[in-house]
Amino acid sequence: MNMSMKRIQAIFIKDYKEFSRNYAISVMVLLPPLLAFFYNKMGAETMQSYFIPINTTLAMVTAFVQCCLMAEEKENNTLRSLTMSPASIADILVGKSSLVFSITAIILALSIYLVGYEPANIIILILALAISIVFYIALGTICGLYTKTVMEATITVMPVVIVFLMGSLASGFSDKFPILAVAEWLPSSQIILLAEALEVVAPAKELIVPFVVMIAWTVLALVVTTVLYKKRMTDD
Amino acid sequence: MTTATIEVKNVQKTFGTFTALKDVSFTIKKGEIFGFLGPSGSGKTTMIKILTAQLEQTAGEANVLGVPAINMKRGENKARFGILTDNSGLYKRLTVEENLLLFGNMYDLPKSAVDEALNFVNLADARKKKVTELSKGMMQRVTLARAIMHKPDLLFLDEPTSALDPVNTAHIYKGLRKLNEMGTTIFLTTHDMAEAETLCDRVAFLHKGKIQAIGAPSNLKHDYSDESMTVQLTTGEEHILPMNDHASAETLTQWMSTGSIIRIQTNEPTLGDIFMQLTGSDLQ
Repeated sequence: MNMSMKRIQAIFIKDYKEFSRNYAISVMVLLPPLLAFFYNKMGAETMQSYFIPINTTLAMVTAFVQCCLMAEEKENNTLRSLTMSPASIADILVGKSSLVFSITAIILALSIYLVGYEPANIIILILALAISIVFYIALGTICGLYTKTVMEATITVMPVVIVFLMGSLASGFSDKFPILAVAEWLPSSQIILLAEALEVVAPAKELIVPFVVMIAWTVLALVVTTVLYKKRMTDD
Repeated sequence: MTTATIEVKNVQKTFGTFTALKDVSFTIKKGEIFGFLGPSGSGKTTMIKILTAQLEQTAGEANVLGVPAINMKRGENKARFGILTDNSGLYKRLTVEENLLLFGNMYDLPKSAVDEALNFVNLADARKKKVTELSKGMMQRVTLARAIMHKPDLLFLDEPTSALDPVNTAHIYKGLRKLNEMGTTIFLTTHDMAEAETLCDRVAFLHKGKIQAIGAPSNLKHDYSDESMTVQLTTGEEHILPMNDHASAETLTQWMSTGSIIRIQTNEPTLGDIFMQLTGSDLQ
């Protein structure tokens, strides 16, 4: 894979400048820490409640912001200009994801601290969160590439975000509505299962299965992103 | 020896049942300024997209800078050409300088390339302005600066001066000639006949996806001329006389001896006239 750190860094700096001057989108980063703070004050003690600000960050910051950034590039024809430069697909996709990855990591750390969640194994949790960030970035990129304008993107991404954000809550009602059991296989549910397994001495299977499911979602999303990017950047 | 920068042989492009290009063939030599003239929807932009690997032709052969056009999507080949189209986007929240610095980094250029490009388009004073503060003409000049900042071997320009005033148009023409003298081959599409005559070594007329005529503007004008001249006399009369004709020469001599002539003008067709003659429609 042909990648240039200079180009990735240049796209990162460009995205940072654009993001910091775009208040309509940058204000979204305040939502998860605020939510985490209020949940802490309300006495959050369950894994479900700890993960509400975490999954909100992944859906509303990672996927939503990435979607808007990609859609804006498409709307202004700047993505085409980047594609016509010597930057490779990898340079552009990694460069365009690195800002959202960094912001998400900071907001997640802040939200986890504010909600009062102290994971039993921080290394495994960080690994799982990193995989989740990549998945939600890919999800946001897909929605951004699929749409033509920022306005269209914000409407398109919302149902997707709600499904992944609320999936973990919906699976709790699977006793009454068996169809909702399928939501347990969403990455947002799997990361909670993984976090619960970390708190007890669980068999290895209970750690491995969530990882495999999350990685499978991520690989699928990355493949779709690459195929869609190539398709959207040609006019055939 | 002059080598071909672009070679297009029997290229056809269809979109479903619509044929955008029909059996198009032409060659552009290294160092040439070539004008592709035609009205909207004639296939000009489709041709640029094929030559820059944004589209693949349905049939025929297209080679650019010695490689099949479809290979122009590779990074090393993309660094060899520049492109300015009517939808070349700029980052609106960034300044002019920040936009050019980004693309300078994409081409691995030193920061001085930004200064050179800004001077080229006469925008050095606007470097700190945000793109949202620029007029349409200024934006056009920034996108042109971005297209030429890596000094490409081949430059594609789609209506490069459409939004510019005469002063800046003249500045851009001067710069393009300078770039051409330094060895850059230029492929230009335009509606503007004066622009084509001023800049182009050769032009091709494209109508409904087919090339109708191709050649140097002076040759085309000669080929499609009706070989006549208009003579205006002191009496206010105007006479159209055939050129290269014995009777015309005698008439002219007689009028000249009596001091009756105010003006003699050869009736060369404009490129627009030739296009209309060939296609029955104008270039707009």
